Amino acid sequence: MRQHAGALNRTWLVILGILTLAGGVLILLAASGTLHAMSPAMAPAESPVLTGDLHTAFGPASVTAIVLVAGVLLGALGLLWILAQIPRKNPADRYRLHQDPASGTTLCEASVLGSAVENQINTLPGVVGSSALLRGTAREPDLTMKVTVNNRADIQDILHSINARVIPDLSTALETPLRRTGIQLEVSGRNPVSGSTVATTGTVIY
Amino acid sequence: MKTPAAHAGSRDLDSRGRTVLDRKVVEKIAGQVASEESFAGGSSGGFLGIGAHSDFSARPKVTVELAGNIAALSVEIGLLYPVPLRQVTERLRRRISERVTALTGVEVRQIDITVSWLKPADETTGRRRLL
Repeated sequence: MRQHAGALNRTWLVILGILTLAGGVLILLAASGTLHAMSPAMAPAESPVLTGDLHTAFGPASVTAIVLVAGVLLGALGLLWILAQIPRKNPADRYRLHQDPASGTTLCEASVLGSAVENQINTLPGVVGSSALLRGTAREPDLTMKVTVNNRADIQDILHSINARVIPDLSTALETPLRRTGIQLEVSGRNPVSGSTVATTGTVIY
Repeated sequence: MKTPAAHAGSRDLDSRGRTVLDRKVVEKIAGQVASEESFAGGSSGGFLGIGAHSDFSARPKVTVELAGNIAALSVEIGLLYPVPLRQVTERLRRRISERVTALTGVEVRQIDITVSWLKPADETTGRRRLL
């Protein structure tokens, strides 16, 4: 149901990996003396790489300020990366369903459609509870469902009903096929709360 | 120069007085037109908006903004599920616009529709079959 920052993590880990690998290779080359052999301007093996006086280089206040700002910036980026790890639902806000806004707008909260889907799933036999989440846009909707079933449920039957009835009904309502659907099944020992009453339709002869 | 008959007619019109429609009248007419569609409903019951439940026989809530003879409506409506929402709301928009203009003479320029709930039709009427 929740989304993780997988793509962001992969991108940054690849970038950081490449940078660290390049740094490591450079240190190895400098240590083995290959770098000195390739370019005589570089320091030879087993001699200090930096020969100048570092105290004078870091003397001016401007250099200190630059280092401080760079440190704070890196820290902030790291913090943002950590915050991006929090799993998020990222639900769609509201779907715009109008053709021509000049004649008026048509808006439908994605949660309204979600609760319609939930109500439909809850009527299936063996389903204890469900939650549905819509993402994307009205033209390209994504549906994620979490269905909690109990031991009386026939899971294949439930999946078939969802594919044959619930998903096509949502497609009908939005007038577009769903781009992606996800079903998460969960098993619970609870009893279903819905279905406590039924309308009687028995035949009466007077 | 007006003819005496035309002059008399206009004086006659003036003497009839004016008919003024309150904004609420337009709101109620629009709500009634919307509720006459079988797929649309409003909410009923509750106190101060708490505990209201969706009801296909209730009038949807309509708010009208009047600017002279031109009205902009915003309708909060519940719909049958599943119906094609775009088609149905477009049909509803045309119908409300036509009927409100025909009944009140107010030109409807914009109708904003917000779908507040979606509910399947009751499969059974709740009545027993009579033989």
